[in-house]
Amino acid sequence: MSAQDTPSAPSPNSSTGDGRQTWLRFFLSNEFGLILLIAAFIVIFAVSTRGFLSPFNLFSLGRNSAVNIMIGLSMMTVIVTGGLNLAVGAMGVCAAMAFGWLIEVLGLPWPIALLGGLGMGAALGFINGWTVVRTGLHSFIITLATMSIFFGVMIFLTRAESYRAIPDVFSALGKMKIATYLSPLLLVTLACALALTWLYRFTVTGREMLAAGASPAAAELSGIRVGRIIILCHMLSGVLAGMAALMLVARNGAAIPSMAGQLGQDWLLPAFLGPVLGGTLLQGGKVSVLGTVLGAFLVTMLSSGLLMLQIGAFWVQTFLGLMLLIAVLLDKARRSYLTRRNLA
Amino acid sequence: MLQISRLSRADWFGPLLATIIAIVLIQSFSATFLSAYNIEILLLAIAVNALVAYAQMIIIAIGQMNLSVGAIGGLAAISFAGAMEVWGLPAPLALVFALFIGVLAGMVNGILIRITGISAFVITLATLSIYKGINLGITEAQPFYGIPESVKSFGSAILVGPIPLLVAPTIVVTLLLWFMLRRLPIGRFILAVGSNDHAAALSGISVSKTVIAAHAISGLLAAIAGVLVVARLQIGQPSIGDDWLILSFAAPVIGGAILAGGHVSTMATMLGVVIVAIITQALVLFSIDPFLVQVVLGAMILAAVGLNRLRARQPLKGSM
Repeated sequence: MSAQDTPSAPSPNSSTGDGRQTWLRFFLSNEFGLILLIAAFIVIFAVSTRGFLSPFNLFSLGRNSAVNIMIGLSMMTVIVTGGLNLAVGAMGVCAAMAFGWLIEVLGLPWPIALLGGLGMGAALGFINGWTVVRTGLHSFIITLATMSIFFGVMIFLTRAESYRAIPDVFSALGKMKIATYLSPLLLVTLACALALTWLYRFTVTGREMLAAGASPAAAELSGIRVGRIIILCHMLSGVLAGMAALMLVARNGAAIPSMAGQLGQDWLLPAFLGPVLGGTLLQGGKVSVLGTVLGAFLVTMLSSGLLMLQIGAFWVQTFLGLMLLIAVLLDKARRSYLTRRNLA
Repeated sequence: MLQISRLSRADWFGPLLATIIAIVLIQSFSATFLSAYNIEILLLAIAVNALVAYAQMIIIAIGQMNLSVGAIGGLAAISFAGAMEVWGLPAPLALVFALFIGVLAGMVNGILIRITGISAFVITLATLSIYKGINLGITEAQPFYGIPESVKSFGSAILVGPIPLLVAPTIVVTLLLWFMLRRLPIGRFILAVGSNDHAAALSGISVSKTVIAAHAISGLLAAIAGVLVVARLQIGQPSIGDDWLILSFAAPVIGGAILAGGHVSTMATMLGVVIVAIITQALVLFSIDPFLVQVVLGAMILAAVGLNRLRARQPLKGSM
């Protein structure tokens, strides 16, 4: 059963069965559950806090979730292959610092520096992917080591100093408000999510990525160059991590080495929360871009709402951890229900 | 000849050789390396780091991973300090309380993993955040300063010559752990579950009990490490354990532990800790940028897993 549906993207519309079955499937899907949860929490927060739906809060919510969704997407592209990428944070910070360096030290115009930053992300992703493919070791241990190496080299080269000479045009992106409440950063993220959906749904490369994650041996036998695909996934992850970090640069107006915490570890939890809540299987081969977007948005909204409820900033992390736990448990229960009813 | 080749196949042989070479090399370049003061600093680092490494090693032995080692250590550390400052408990009682918290946190990990059947990675990522959040929620990121004199003097006491008293708990734990993995049923069960949990279950081992026990031991070891750090720093820092993640994997992997499970060695892990400590210390002695320590640590993990793979292939070649 699972072998049957692994190659196909989980989507309410992709099934060719009759309409009722499709709708039933959608109501039982992870994405629908997330939409319900998001709607429920919006109501709860709107009633119990003041100013949750104010334009300013919506703006900051959109801006924060833009970054968190991007971090989740970055992890998702590697999870698709059945791997993990612990170096997401370290790669992101390296890309941001490369961007800052190109502008401040080399004096390049920011669009070229932007490409340079993303190129840095892709290059680091290539190193990860190449090492994983060449050594045949699990990406957990490789990216654990490279996370330490990337971050260490970055801190060594920058002397832990920030680059503050970010052009106003670029940092204006972080402050700009469309129709008083929408951040352009969120639009960038949603465009990326749409592009990824298109990649996994309609392109040969995207299908090959899913196949390589579902069963590397089978993919290899059907003529897919699995090694190359895995390297590509890691590079994609690097570019997306770079995007997330550059958005933070736009928001802060500076490229700061500590913006993802020690070794970039602060990004680990948001990176996994999005995809895992969104129903992307850690074993690989199955992906839900919409789920990741919704999952990361839910997490951002919850942290913001909990802060506004004044539960205490220090407890938010505990809630996020509990949420991850509850989410995986619910997903497990839903799956076993679907299996029993022969719906999955 | 035969004996040498047998020796070279032992887990601890490679790391031991590397340790000796590293010591000789560094000593020949910097005469202060083996000074009493330097040895004391080395031993202090090793005492704590070894416990952190063991906490991860015991989970690697069952073929899983524990991302929450640092969070448990931090939680136990602030429980220890907080129990003494806020509740006024005497140090031994506070110690028991802190170790109990550690065991409990570890057991929660193990129980969740067994009940849900979800991978240890996701569960311990979630509990990492929960334990760290509880830690921050209780302390509000402020350290506990009220550490009694008895604990402070334990942390700075000297056993003999350059050897600090803090290494005593680590030595005891090392011996117990070695004995457990070698001789006690629970140790053998842990290794059996790690190499093949299906086969272990068929031969009558309760996989659930073994996994939960392993996680409880891991929590206990992390808690002891946390308490030792409190004794050494003389304050209950909420940030204790934040930087244990890389370290906890580095030492067992350098010591030849196979991440798939079923194969770990206490002595080799200890040597892995020693190698990491020596090289970190050497970077300081040669006044190499401290920022590069992270790079070296990462590179050492990569080198070690590469070597382990080569070594795993060797016996196959020999038998053909």
